[in-house]
Amino acid sequence: MIKKILLFVTLLALTVTATGIAAVNTIVLDGSTTVGPVAKTFAAYFSKKYGIRVTVSESGSGNGAKSLINGSCTIATMSRAMKDAEIAAARKKGVNPVASVVALDGLAMVVHPANPVRSLTKAQISSIYRGTITNWREVGGPNTRIVVIQRESNSGTEESFKDLVIGKGVQITGSAETQSSNGSVKSRVSTTLSAIGFLGHGFVDGSVKVIAVNGILPTVATVKNGSYPVSRPLYFYTNGQPSGPVKQFIDLPKTVEGKRMITELGFINR
Amino acid sequence: MNIGTRKILDRSFTAVGIGSIIVMALALMFVVVPIVTNGIGAVFFTGTVEHRKMLFNEFKRGDSQGLSSEVASSDRYRSKVYDMLTGFEAELETMAPEKKKEYKEKYAQVRSAVQALLGPLPGDSTPMLTRFKYGQTRWEKAEEKLHDLLYESKWDNSNPNVMSKEYFVSRAIGFEGTSLVKLFPYVKDNLEKMLLPDFTVYWGFITDSSVDSHFFGGIWPEIQGTFFLAIGAMLFAFPLGVVAAVYFTEYAKPGFLNSMLRSANSTLAGVPSIVFGMFGLAFFINTMKVSESKSVIAGALTLAIMILPTIIRAAEEAILAVPKTYREASLSLGSTKWNTIATVILPAALPGILTGAVISLGRAAGETAPIIFTAAVSVGSAIGLADVFSSPTPALSWNIYNLASEHEAASQIRHVQYGMVLALVSIVLLLNLSAIVLRARISKKLKG
Repeated sequence: MIKKILLFVTLLALTVTATGIAAVNTIVLDGSTTVGPVAKTFAAYFSKKYGIRVTVSESGSGNGAKSLINGSCTIATMSRAMKDAEIAAARKKGVNPVASVVALDGLAMVVHPANPVRSLTKAQISSIYRGTITNWREVGGPNTRIVVIQRESNSGTEESFKDLVIGKGVQITGSAETQSSNGSVKSRVSTTLSAIGFLGHGFVDGSVKVIAVNGILPTVATVKNGSYPVSRPLYFYTNGQPSGPVKQFIDLPKTVEGKRMITELGFINR
Repeated sequence: MNIGTRKILDRSFTAVGIGSIIVMALALMFVVVPIVTNGIGAVFFTGTVEHRKMLFNEFKRGDSQGLSSEVASSDRYRSKVYDMLTGFEAELETMAPEKKKEYKEKYAQVRSAVQALLGPLPGDSTPMLTRFKYGQTRWEKAEEKLHDLLYESKWDNSNPNVMSKEYFVSRAIGFEGTSLVKLFPYVKDNLEKMLLPDFTVYWGFITDSSVDSHFFGGIWPEIQGTFFLAIGAMLFAFPLGVVAAVYFTEYAKPGFLNSMLRSANSTLAGVPSIVFGMFGLAFFINTMKVSESKSVIAGALTLAIMILPTIIRAAEEAILAVPKTYREASLSLGSTKWNTIATVILPAALPGILTGAVISLGRAAGETAPIIFTAAVSVGSAIGLADVFSSPTPALSWNIYNLASEHEAASQIRHVQYGMVLALVSIVLLLNLSAIVLRARISKKLKG
C-alpha cells in the first residue's frame, strides 16, 4: 500500500515537472491593490513577450514598501510616494528606493447610484470624513445617515485621500467603516444606499455613481491637467536604478503598448 | 423520576436531535447547492461564437474551418448592425449643431453597448487587453448586455428627500425619427444569429492557464499551486508529527516538562491561522531566508507548522489505541522496544494516523491566511517542480478571495470564482474520501 502511495506521488511529481517550465529568473511585484490591474496586465504582457516570469501580489502599498525594504520583492507597486520613515528604514538596510511613475489616477468619490447628490466640495467631503457632517440632508441629499467607508491603514489610496482631502494628521471619524481593497469598497458602496467611499479611477463601473469634487468630475482630461483636485501618481519602486529586464518592465508605461494598456484599464497616462 | 416525565424528556431530546440534524442539512444545502450549480456553470454553459473565437486565438483549439464558416454566417447578420451604425454616423454629420450634440452622447453609449455585446467594431483598432478583443462569450452575459443596449437605466430623483428609484427607458424612443431606431429591434431579434449560442463543455477551465487576469481561460495554475502547497506541507509535517507522537506516547516520562509540551501542542492547534501566516513571513522568509521572497517552500513550511499539532494529536490517539497485548506479545518474544514500535505498533496505528493526516491535508489545501504573506500571488503562471524553492504560486483559496474582493471586474467574472470554489471543495472532498477508503483498506488488511 505504502509503495503504491509512493509510486503515485512520484508519478504526480513527474507529470507536474514535465508540464512546468523552469524559469530563468523572476520579477516579483508586491504592493498596491490600485496598481494591481496595471501590474497584472503588464505581467501577462511581459512574460508572454520576453518569457520572463512575473508574479504579482496585491497586499497594499504599505506592504509593498516593506517587501522592498526586506528585499523580498523586485518592484514595489505603490499608490502613494514612499514616506520619509520608509526611505530611512530602507537606507538602513542598504536599499535605495528609486521611484518611477506608472500612471496617474484620479481618486473618484463614489456613492450609490440612487443617491441624488451629484457634487460635493472638498470641504464637505472633509467634514463627512471627520464626522462633522453625518447626514446626507446637510449636503443636499435625503434625510439619511451617511455610511462613511475608508480603506485600511496599509493602503496607499487611504493615505493619498487623507493628504489630498482632509489634511495630514487629521483623524477620520471613528464610525467610518474600513474595507481592505478597492474592489470591496466598490461592492460595499454599490449595495449600500447611503454610503460614500473613494476608489481608484480604474475601478469605477456602472454599479456606483461618481460625484464631482468642487464641481469637477474625474476624467482623463481633468486628471491630466490637474484641475481634478483629488488625483495622484502611481509608482513602481525599485532598489537602485533598474537595469536589464526590470528596466524594460519599468519602462513599459513609456511604450505605445504600455500606454494603450493603461488607457484601456481606465488609468491615465502621464 | 416517574416514567411519564422520563418519556417526555426522552422524546423532547429526540426531537431536538432530529431538529438539529435537519437544520444542519438545510445549512449544508444552502451552502453547497449554489456552489455546485454556479460552479458547474464555469465548465458547462451556453457559449457563443465569441467563446470559440477566443479558444481558437488564445489556445489554438477548435476546428478552424467550422469556426470560419460560423464567423461568416454571424458576420452576415452583424454587418447590418455595423451598416446602421455607420449610417447614423453619417446622419449625425448632417444634423443641426444642437441636435448633433444631443444625439452624440446618446450614440456613444449605444456604440459602446454594441461593442460590449459583439466585440470591437470594424474600424476599431485591436485592443491590447484580451477582455476587449471579444464580445460576450457566455450567452447569459450576452442577454444582460442586450438589456443594457435596449434600455437605459435612469434614476428618478424628483423627490430630493428620499433616495432615487431606478427605472428603465427604452433607448429606441430616444432615437425616434432617426435611422438608428431600427437597430434596437434588429439586434433584439437577431442576437442569436449574431452570436450563435451553443451548449459548451469547457474542460479547459480545469486545465488551462488564465488569460487576462481570469477573464478567460482556466484555473490550472491555482489547482496545481494548491496541490503543491498541501502536499509540500504534508511532506514536512507527517514524518515530524509521527516521530513526535511516538516520543510522547512511548519515550517521554510523565512529568512537568512532558505535560507542558503536550499543552503547548494543544494550544498550538488553536492558534488562528493568520498568526501562522505572519510567523511564516517573519521566520521562514525574513529570518531563515528559505527563499528570497514568497515561495511554495515557505508556504508549505508555514502550513506544515499549522497542521503539525493536529497530526501529532491524531497519531498519539492512534498509537494509544493499539491494544496493550500487541506490545506485550512482541516484547515477550524478545523484540526490542524500537523494533516493537516500528514493526508492531506503527503498522497497527497506521489507519488512524493516516486519517488524521489526510484531514490535515484538506485543511492545508483550504487555508488562505497562512499563504497570503508566504506563498500566494494573484497572477502567475503554473510553476514546475524545480521552481518550488524560489517561486510563489497562485492557489485556489487565495485567488477565490482575490476574485471576490480585489479584482477590478469581480462582478463580471463571478462564474470563474464559483468554479474555483467548486474546484477547491471537490479537492478537499476527494482528499477526505481517499482517507476513508485508505483507512478501510488498511484495517481490512490488518485484520487479515
